[in-house]
Amino acid sequence: MWQGVARGIVSGASIVIVLAWVCADALAQTGQLLSFSQSDIRRIRSLGPWPPNLPPDPSNRVSGKPAAIELGERLFFSAALSGNGSMHCASCHVPARTWTDGRARGSGLSELDRNTPTLENLRLQRWYGWDGANDTLWAQSIRPLLDQREMHSSVAAVARTVRQDAQLASMYAKTFGRLPGAGDERVLVNVGKALAAFQETIVSARSPFDAFRDALVAGDLVSAARYPEAAQRGLTLFIGRGNCIACHAGPAFSNGEFHEIGIGYFITGSGVDSGRHGGIARLRSTRLNLLGPYNDDRSRKAAIGTRHLREQQRNFGEFRTPGLRNVVLTAPYMHNGSLATLCDVVNHYSELNEERLHADGERILKPLRLIADEKNDLVAFLESLTGVGRGAAPAERPAACGATVR
Amino acid sequence: MGGVAARRGRWAVVATALGLLPVGLLPLGLLPSAALAQAGGARMPIFDAHLHYSHDAWESVPPKTAIEILRQAGVMRALVSSSNDEGNQMLHAEAPDLILPSLRTYRTRAEVSTWARDETVIPYLQERLKKYRYVAIGEFHLFGADADLPVPRRMVQLAREHNLFLHAHSDVDAIERLFRQWPQARILWAHSGFERPDAVRAVLRRHSNLWADLAFRSEQGTVSNGVGKVESEWRAAFMEFPDRFLVGTDSYVPERWHYVGGNADFSRAWLGDLPKDIAERIGWRNGETLFSGKLVKKQ
Repeated sequence: MWQGVARGIVSGASIVIVLAWVCADALAQTGQLLSFSQSDIRRIRSLGPWPPNLPPDPSNRVSGKPAAIELGERLFFSAALSGNGSMHCASCHVPARTWTDGRARGSGLSELDRNTPTLENLRLQRWYGWDGANDTLWAQSIRPLLDQREMHSSVAAVARTVRQDAQLASMYAKTFGRLPGAGDERVLVNVGKALAAFQETIVSARSPFDAFRDALVAGDLVSAARYPEAAQRGLTLFIGRGNCIACHAGPAFSNGEFHEIGIGYFITGSGVDSGRHGGIARLRSTRLNLLGPYNDDRSRKAAIGTRHLREQQRNFGEFRTPGLRNVVLTAPYMHNGSLATLCDVVNHYSELNEERLHADGERILKPLRLIADEKNDLVAFLESLTGVGRGAAPAERPAACGATVR
Repeated sequence: MGGVAARRGRWAVVATALGLLPVGLLPLGLLPSAALAQAGGARMPIFDAHLHYSHDAWESVPPKTAIEILRQAGVMRALVSSSNDEGNQMLHAEAPDLILPSLRTYRTRAEVSTWARDETVIPYLQERLKKYRYVAIGEFHLFGADADLPVPRRMVQLAREHNLFLHAHSDVDAIERLFRQWPQARILWAHSGFERPDAVRAVLRRHSNLWADLAFRSEQGTVSNGVGKVESEWRAAFMEFPDRFLVGTDSYVPERWHYVGGNADFSRAWLGDLPKDIAERIGWRNGETLFSGKLVKKQ
């Protein structure tokens, strides 16, 4: 069996065949490796390496600086930043809940319309928020501070808090080289930049998938074979017939762009969440974007995308592709938390309601019509993206998606 | 910004005023464009040539709400189709002055890719045509050689018998085939076929009975700080064929009814970059010329 499998994996790569031969006994003991073509391996390679080695954010001059990270962490857990002193960032982005809140839709000072996203791996994003209404993490970090439904503070109040708290003011001076000045907006932006510096450090741990990916790419078939077979089958679907990788691409499993995937976007009452359409409008209208005065990158390279953004008809009802690392720990799912489990998500794509898709919209979206075993395999693969040491407790693990129970 | 306000001032709002008139008692088409344009107000009216009111919208956007959305958006008339057709009739009953029904060729949108081979479509169309009045058949999705299948051929015959427009979401090949079946057909080309403007112009030159809607398209114009600009290739198309384009929203999911107003504003903004006469033709006059008066209220 192993010989056939190995041939499938390494066609055209004799060095790997030799390695497989040497390790035949070990391979037989560890598990079975499915057949992955060179094309498959190229796709799998594109989902790593992890963790990525990312440079500091050029738009944020304190990105990656220890003093800024320390200040940002303190601010993140400080209720003084909210309007009535009752909330902090971690009220919704709970560290023990993978920086989410476990609710379908967030709840700040009042109920919100969208699901609280995880804060892991934010440095890899290009647009922030479900609607991409910000083009930097520091600007996105400011948004909930001022939103009246979330922390309901004000530019002046945030600045005043930083100025009047001796410890915060001292940390601010250490980070930015001077005490908070008279300009409220500048202080607010620097608060956002410190918060961003802290959040950039929140990175998912390596997962079983990463070990498999690295082993496969290196030709270490023995190690690769330790990856559960169901997850391998799920991965095959993910990169193959399911074509999930078209949007959930790259090391963070997100292309960072926006799509309408057949999820309704009515909100409480009679209105709708216009998603990316409204997000683009808000991004273009704010001073706190990469085109504005607070971008620390004099080259303005990253601002090109923002400069050319225009609302398109198709953007109405589009939402950002979320990453998938630790996805099993961040239920419920979708922009409005309308799907409770990963099985629900897989079922959504399996039985996709084509009536909700425009004939010239997301052309790659077709109902996958998966059988129960395939759904379970896909979920097994998604579970394998969980960082080592962060495995969900059995009670938290999603139920099998069909009749077959592993 | 001042420019936009000034342009708004030049145009008459008619839809709001229409809501005050007892036009539901009148056969459609009795209100001439000139009368509409004199109704007074600030915004240019919009003829929305591409709306759907399908089954999944009836509860979330009830007929009264849908009509209110149209009136608030300054939509003077709307070409509407629904899957199934009951939605059309509910909406038309609510506002006969506003709604111009078009008969879809399928009963659920899921039939979008199967209807052309489904022989039950024809008796369905015949039954609806016997019972209700329409200005068009469509929007239907039809591509390439499928246009010559028996069911679409019979649909074209029905349009001919009832003197109806065809609202075709089609590629150029299917448009050509439809015209070969019925050279005098009047076709509204949904989304302008998602073709580039030079290709649209080429087809418009070949067929004087072809009109093109711009629903679900944005590249023809941009809006920045409320001021619109028309892209140069599209400008050339609009200048060459000012009588052949219409705007539309395409409410293919119920949520998009809440985009009717936004799209009307977007349309007004980019149309504002065209000469006033051409902007008015594309914004509403072409629709009025083509469709108003084509529907006599059935008692």
